[in-house]
Amino acid sequence: MPRRKPKTLSRIFLRWRCRWLGGLWLFFLWGIPLCGSGAEPATNAPVDWVYEATNHLGQWIWETNTLDKQTVRFWKSFPVPAGSKITNANLRLTVDNGYTLFLDGQEIGRGSDWRTVTEYDVIQLLSPGRHVVAVEGFNDRLEAGFIFVLGIGLADGRSFEISSDNSWLVAPDNEKNWAAKKSAPAGWHHVIVIGSIHHHPWEGLPLGLATVPALRLPAVHFWQRGGFQLALSAACLLALGFCLWLMTRLAAQGKAQKYLQVERARIARDIHDDLGAQLTQLVLLGEIAQREPAQDAKSRGQFAQICERARELARALDEVVWAVNSRRDTVRDFSSYVCKYAQLFLGATSLRCRLDVEPEIPATAFDLPVRRNLFLAVKEALNNAAKHSQADELFLRICRQGQTLSVAVEDNGRGFDLAQARGERNGLANMAQRMSEAGGTCDISSQPGGGCLVVFTVPLPRRRGWFRRTGSDETAARKMNLSGS
Amino acid sequence: MKTTNAAIPSPAGQSLVKVVLVEDKAGVRESWAKLINSLPGFSCVQACASGEDALRVIPPANPGVVLMDIFLPHMSGIECTARLKLLLPKIQIIMLTAVEDDELVFMALEAGADGFLLKRTKPEDLRAAMLDVLGGGAPMTSEIARRVVESFRRAGKPLAPDVRLSTREEEVLILLSKGYSNKEIASQLSIGIETVGSHLKHIYEKLHVRSRAEAVARYMTSKA
Repeated sequence: MPRRKPKTLSRIFLRWRCRWLGGLWLFFLWGIPLCGSGAEPATNAPVDWVYEATNHLGQWIWETNTLDKQTVRFWKSFPVPAGSKITNANLRLTVDNGYTLFLDGQEIGRGSDWRTVTEYDVIQLLSPGRHVVAVEGFNDRLEAGFIFVLGIGLADGRSFEISSDNSWLVAPDNEKNWAAKKSAPAGWHHVIVIGSIHHHPWEGLPLGLATVPALRLPAVHFWQRGGFQLALSAACLLALGFCLWLMTRLAAQGKAQKYLQVERARIARDIHDDLGAQLTQLVLLGEIAQREPAQDAKSRGQFAQICERARELARALDEVVWAVNSRRDTVRDFSSYVCKYAQLFLGATSLRCRLDVEPEIPATAFDLPVRRNLFLAVKEALNNAAKHSQADELFLRICRQGQTLSVAVEDNGRGFDLAQARGERNGLANMAQRMSEAGGTCDISSQPGGGCLVVFTVPLPRRRGWFRRTGSDETAARKMNLSGS
Repeated sequence: MKTTNAAIPSPAGQSLVKVVLVEDKAGVRESWAKLINSLPGFSCVQACASGEDALRVIPPANPGVVLMDIFLPHMSGIECTARLKLLLPKIQIIMLTAVEDDELVFMALEAGADGFLLKRTKPEDLRAAMLDVLGGGAPMTSEIARRVVESFRRAGKPLAPDVRLSTREEEVLILLSKGYSNKEIASQLSIGIETVGSHLKHIYEKLHVRSRAEAVARYMTSKA
């Protein structure tokens, strides 16, 4: 550590304690160049290297106060004349004790051996225009100084130097991006000059000159160029925006779908709760009125009719509620409803209804238009059988085949000639119409004396229903709703 | 047209069958009570507005039949049924529903209900249903039969003998699920129609016992 006038008591103490050690250090350090300059590895300078290294260097400069463990940020801006061609640009510096060197905000070098002046060839980094050289100097303890020169030669023979002097500015510690600043904000103060190159305690320095190979601007790949990055960012933003838009659309659609389902369930519940309950009450009142003792047979009969009509109305209402209720949008529900309907409907006829339903029909989603059309078509088939077939047994078969659901209505009645029947039976046309609306098919096979078989086939929705409405969910939902209604 | 008068013999000798009605809507409750009283051999001794009420009133009244609305405020008819069956295992409970809902009916059966009726059922059918359950029968539709079969088959691990369906019981259920009437089943299996009824009754009991066992098992595992 070079020594100047001790400033504080602690420094005196330190100095006394370390005197003999310091002497040893000095001997050792001075001994190296004396033993032979070849010992300096980075140094391949000519004989007059000391002169060369120091000839153009400026003055030792530093911050007004010198402190131990101090970092000082030196900043200097300089122009390279417009239209000129640079032939050489060499930058030399050293800082007692260490430095980081920036040119135009980009770090180009570091050094911690303050006894050696380092030379950087920065010709590739300079071009006509304003540049900023910035040095972050670090002092470990005791005296501190920074010495610098940048010599630039131009093709027209002119040359100029930027060297360390009192025109340099000190950037405050809290200044961000200080090394890249093109101009110095007001408030940055000037350095002080400590002394010339051989000022105490740096007499005899430097011990060597290290030359750093010519610095080049790092190759800029296309993806590092601002334009490309901007375009990429814009593309990403656009993609992100599109995704967001799509997601919003999907969410809105999902929401609308959900809302529709909730609304349908609400309408079904309202019909059931209000109209249904009232109708039930009407039936009950009619039954009681029938039982009033002061009645003649005629009015009793009329009350019985009222009750019967009200019951029919309630049944019709059940059908509407079933169709509307979104909670019934499953294949399982459809199959159980159709079976029940067939049994009820055929119960009033001489036809025996036999059911053949695939066990464990899943709660796959089954949308309203499809299930309603299919139900109406089956209803028509049952009606036809009851009216025309003269059968005594009817089979209702429901099964799934891959992604289709088929419902077959088969009777053992007298059958008919299909070719003849087409023109006169509206029912057959109705069934075909219903099935085409549902996106399905209707196959009728019959011959006189051989019964009749009607097979309805509808496609089941793919994908949906995996996560929607599993049976257990439905049951759980119901359990929760039980006490509420 | 059938006229109602006391000439029709009551089911249990001379004494009237006591019926308790559980229904939350006042108008409907009154109408039902009148209707039940008008049925020969039956007397509506109490009409409760809630499940909580029913749990208080029914044990001392000890009725023959309870008619229970499935939708009740607070405690549901299904929960009330389960609790009543714990208190009075012999009591006959018929669920009343406004619309046929297999899911609910099945849950009620698991809770221990003995039958189910639509609210708009004709009084004669109501009387027949009550006589049926009192006589040890059990009404079952093809849809419920299918569900019962499925639920017993779905039970993954082998069931204890007292909650497993016998071969005959399963035969009865399968025929029922195919749309055969009790009478047809009886002739198909060469058994009496009463035997079909008692098979169904046993199936109901097993369903109830099993669901209770499952509930206990669930409770135990959740405690462990």
